[in-house]
Amino acid sequence: MSQKLVEVENLKKYYPVTAGLLSRHVADVKAVDGVSFNIMERETLGLVGESGCGKSSLGRALLRLEEPTSGRVLYKGSDITTWNRRQLKEFRKEAQMIFQDPQSSLDPRMTIGDSIGEALLIHGVGTEKERLEKVAELLQRVGLEPEHAARYPHELSGGQKQRVGIARALAVNPKLVVADEPVSALDVSVQAQILNLIMDLQHELGLAYLFIAHDLAVIGHVSDRIAVMYLGQIVELAARKELFHHPLHPYTEALLSAVPVPDPHQKRKKTSLPGEVPSPVEPPPGCRFHTRCPRVMELCRQEPPVLRSREGGRLVSCHRYG
Amino acid sequence: MMRRISRKVGGLRNLIFIGTLLVLGLIILLDIYLVDRILEPLGYFYIFFAAVAVLYGVYPLYTNRRLTRYYWERTSRHRLSILGLAFIIFLAAAALIGPLLTQDPTRVDFDEKNVPPVGFTVQQSIYDLNTDKFVVREIPGTWQHPLGTDDKGRDLLAMLVSGAGVSLQVGLLATLIAILIGTIMGVVSAYYGGWVDMALMRFTDIMMTFPFFILLVFIIFIFGPSLLFIILVIGLTGWTGTARLVRSEALSLRTREFIMASRSLGASDARIVFRHLIPNVLSSVIVIATLSIPGVILAEAALSFIGLGDPTVTSWGMILNAGQRSLDTAWWVAVAPGILLFLTVLAFNFLGDGIRDAFDPRSQV
Repeated sequence: MSQKLVEVENLKKYYPVTAGLLSRHVADVKAVDGVSFNIMERETLGLVGESGCGKSSLGRALLRLEEPTSGRVLYKGSDITTWNRRQLKEFRKEAQMIFQDPQSSLDPRMTIGDSIGEALLIHGVGTEKERLEKVAELLQRVGLEPEHAARYPHELSGGQKQRVGIARALAVNPKLVVADEPVSALDVSVQAQILNLIMDLQHELGLAYLFIAHDLAVIGHVSDRIAVMYLGQIVELAARKELFHHPLHPYTEALLSAVPVPDPHQKRKKTSLPGEVPSPVEPPPGCRFHTRCPRVMELCRQEPPVLRSREGGRLVSCHRYG
Repeated sequence: MMRRISRKVGGLRNLIFIGTLLVLGLIILLDIYLVDRILEPLGYFYIFFAAVAVLYGVYPLYTNRRLTRYYWERTSRHRLSILGLAFIIFLAAAALIGPLLTQDPTRVDFDEKNVPPVGFTVQQSIYDLNTDKFVVREIPGTWQHPLGTDDKGRDLLAMLVSGAGVSLQVGLLATLIAILIGTIMGVVSAYYGGWVDMALMRFTDIMMTFPFFILLVFIIFIFGPSLLFIILVIGLTGWTGTARLVRSEALSLRTREFIMASRSLGASDARIVFRHLIPNVLSSVIVIATLSIPGVILAEAALSFIGLGDPTVTSWGMILNAGQRSLDTAWWVAVAPGILLFLTVLAFNFLGDGIRDAFDPRSQV
């Protein structure tokens, strides 16, 4: 068993809702509401959920790009939520992020080389010549040419820009990379290339990923374990195979049934969810999923279920498996 | 050693800039406490803005020749804006070299008063000392005063050349002061948000409603009229529009992922503001600056026209004022600066339009 790289304990991220002239605090958007999980070294943990379920907020709070409201994030055993500015700057060398939209994740006024080299500059790595060499090496590593360093973002295609985004994240030799929907803004044909690149880099460099996506097919392709998120909470966490073959939580079932299968004649059990995702400002009492669950019981309306271990180290939060 | 320090402040460029500031500060101290007048007060601004322009304007354009060529091609597509630029360059050359070639614009010579421009002849009644009578005499324009003279016999061409310098100085310096303050206010306000934003923007609102004219009259009343104060007052009160526009642009930039990416790389606030936000709002700032220069030039001319200008410098507004008093005997005195003002304002507006089209992010492919 490999070592735990990250342990997240009861992490919460609330965004205040304010009103009026004096910005009275009236409510909270509970984007992430008490989430716990681990990321092992060299593994890919997939995080899947509908848009607005808090997966991006979770990724950002995990790297302290946004301050978590409460909870702990242990990186190699020490709590990063208590770290000061200096320690955080060191942490930035260990943990990096790949962003969703390659269009907006690169500064339009900076050359590709400057964007990638910025991390090296910030951390004062090497002389200018060494930095240029490192940038050229990174560009080749992600499948671009060293000549691309002099280009501007608008001169590259979406897939190329995403490669640059990956190269930038790798510049500081991180151990952990949070990939926030890294392929959802790309064409399907390019998606596969980028996914393969991300997986190759993991093997070469020994990276651990938190891979955030809303597309189960993409998640299934890259992940070792998969966490399913609904309305700010994790409802199920299991190894990829088990999750795909024996989903336990009704929400996971519904998500899986929505994955398109390239065979029009295959008969499948279709679970469609009625209604909309409830507001994260006032999540429903009891089980958060009870308003849409096809197998809702009386207990679900009253008592929130807890994320419990089941056989095979998988976790599920549902009264049916109580 | 040098390398360590220069890395600390973010590059050799910043080091040179800080060095320039230190030298200027030293000269100010020397000026105040030891010897007087090493530099004219305006000299500080010239050195300061020359340093800003070279280090943060010309140098990046030079190192980024591909981008420069791209902007130049887009700007030069506008024929009118090139025409405007040519006129501004002509004006700047006249203001710089002209005073060496023309006569002293303040030299009074009543024997030569109200001489018309070359090619014109006017009739004037002149008091003849010998016969003790008024005689009507034809006065032709001479090459000695190509554009004629005013009612005190001052050479109009020399006055106009001097006025060009004044107008450009006021227009450029006041605008630079204004956009420098406005850009920093706007970006800081947008980046930090919260109460910083609140405080800075309410301050901007107050400045916006502040009657700059009354402030100017007040300052002139206390310190006496001087070009320096006019530039300072216009600059220190004219930044509000820039601040608001820059803020709104920086607000939308702040949510873009590259800002988050930079923070996730460990960038400091200063780095994000100066390396990411300001370069990205700079194109709008350049457009605002170009388009606000004519307003400032007109404001200075208006002040001089109503007699609140610096009486020791010959500005277009002052010539206009002198000209309108003798409009019936010497029409050319008022017409010439009027035409020049009109053309200058037009030239800056054309150039501004061209630059706006070149820099407009929406038209970038």
